[in-house]
Amino acid sequence: MAQRVAESERGSRRIRAPRFVMALPAWIWFAFFFTIPVLWIAYYSFGYKPNIFSTIATDKLTFDRYSEALSPEFLHVFKQTLQISLLGTLLTLLIGFPFAYWLATRVAERWRGVLLGLVIVPFFVNFLVRTVGWLILLSPGGPLSTLLLRWGIRDQPIHLLQTRGAVQLGVVYNYLALMIFPLFVALDRLDPALREASKDLGASRWRTFRQVTLPLAAPGIVAGLLLVFIPLTGDYITAAVLGGAKGNMAGALVASQFTTAQNWALGAAQAVILIIMILGTVALFALLGLAIRTTARRTRRITLPAPIERAT
Amino acid sequence: MSAVPAAGLRRRRDRVAVALRVWSIAVYVFLFLPILVIVVYSFNQGRVLLAWNGFGLEGYRTGIADNVIVDAIKTSIAVAAGTAVIATILGSFAGIALARRKGRWTPIFLLLVFIILVTPEIVDAIALLIWYVRIGGPFGPDVTIPAVSYGILRLWVGHSLFATAVVTLIVRARLEGLEESLEEAAADLYAPPGRRFRQITLPLMLPAVLAGALLSFSFSLDDTIISSFVSAAGASPWPVVVFSSLRSVLRPEIASVSTLLLLLTLFAIACVALVLRRGGQSGEEVAKTMTVGG
Repeated sequence: MAQRVAESERGSRRIRAPRFVMALPAWIWFAFFFTIPVLWIAYYSFGYKPNIFSTIATDKLTFDRYSEALSPEFLHVFKQTLQISLLGTLLTLLIGFPFAYWLATRVAERWRGVLLGLVIVPFFVNFLVRTVGWLILLSPGGPLSTLLLRWGIRDQPIHLLQTRGAVQLGVVYNYLALMIFPLFVALDRLDPALREASKDLGASRWRTFRQVTLPLAAPGIVAGLLLVFIPLTGDYITAAVLGGAKGNMAGALVASQFTTAQNWALGAAQAVILIIMILGTVALFALLGLAIRTTARRTRRITLPAPIERAT
Repeated sequence: MSAVPAAGLRRRRDRVAVALRVWSIAVYVFLFLPILVIVVYSFNQGRVLLAWNGFGLEGYRTGIADNVIVDAIKTSIAVAAGTAVIATILGSFAGIALARRKGRWTPIFLLLVFIILVTPEIVDAIALLIWYVRIGGPFGPDVTIPAVSYGILRLWVGHSLFATAVVTLIVRARLEGLEESLEEAAADLYAPPGRRFRQITLPLMLPAVLAGALLSFSFSLDDTIISSFVSAAGASPWPVVVFSSLRSVLRPEIASVSTLLLLLTLFAIACVALVLRRGGQSGEEVAKTMTVGG
């Protein structure tokens, strides 16, 4: 990459090296171990499995793996994955927002640090072990079942494991913190004076929330949605622990092609479809969000006596 | 509108406040419930984790005597330490460059960092597997570098990608938040670049570097998917061992060792928090640095 040598903006500085030189080690690291390998997946997805002893051959390139990967049985799993991850993302937002709002606006400043720190403590227990915690809780002989039986609320053990509901619960649990942090940062930055001003100008609480708090928290919401939705869609560990066959996720399809079936070309094609599905969904919602924002701006436009141009 | 009596307004206000508080307590219960279950079941005297069979320390006793588990923990810690070192060095320099040497390259690099942060782990995992098999060398079983097995090397590299991206963003955020004036003042006072970095920039960015190292370490300990794809036989980290025992029988040792690890992690975090606090950050700043890097 032929970048220009930095012209020194201030006279006191004499930098001859290109400006990105300190980022160069990271850049090379990422290129060699991330960018090229990920592109290699795309390349392998056009290959095939030559015989039972080899994993991949690329002497003939075809689109056949894609039609295989889009066969009804696999397509069903992709659809189910998308449903679980969309609902899971929405639920983390609905659970996380009131919590982050409370933490950022209702908690005294000296407690905020401790309470925010408490949120991460569960996440220092290994991802898998945390999920095993739910496995114990929800199992027919587990604490929840025992309590319900003892209190006479149910007359037989619960059977929540191996269901879609258990998978849904598990993913919401495992990704909730990733939603809470960006929401908290956005809400914490919000100057309380803005909400007070809105109130002083006669806005109701709901209107203040809708027209002041929510728009200003929007960057945090978007960050949270992305941080939860993308890894959640690729996750299959939670589903493997809690859902059994019912919670088969797209990530598990890819994994099984590499670990058991040893058909790397098909696995690579499924991975590419997974990526396209994720990016497509994100793009769709981004467009939707933009459309909503544009209409909201248009309908709520305020004409000031002296028009102020806002640079955005 | 204005006829709302003050007492009525008060009550409405309180209702929202109470609802928010109850909701938040419920969230904490939700977050801690499975952890509590793990801690309680770590004292399960039975031979199967899921079946409670009396209170005892059997799980701890067999857990710390089990060679497979002890080796797995050792591997995990070695991998996490290496990951933290690689990510901290690469990420700190990239973060400095992003904050202090802006140019046309910055948006492209940031985009790459964001892509790495959000790429599903399964994609990283198979990409690395394909790549390691393809390039071989020290990443394959044929060439051995003394002291570092190829399994460990594969894990270091695999875990360092996400971790480096995290450190980069944290260090960048920290330096962006600080004016460049101190560094400029040092330059005006004829401090050479090396000294300027050592005496001004480094102390300023140290909290971010520490937080980044800690996050890298805990990310590496937590990782299951990449590890299960790229680790070599004989060098399985802890999550891989837990995952494979899920397919056979879950024993209470898993919970006991996890509880010990949690205590160890909390201790490490407390140490880092103390260092940050000594460095003059308030409680909220410490928590923010360690969780969101801001």
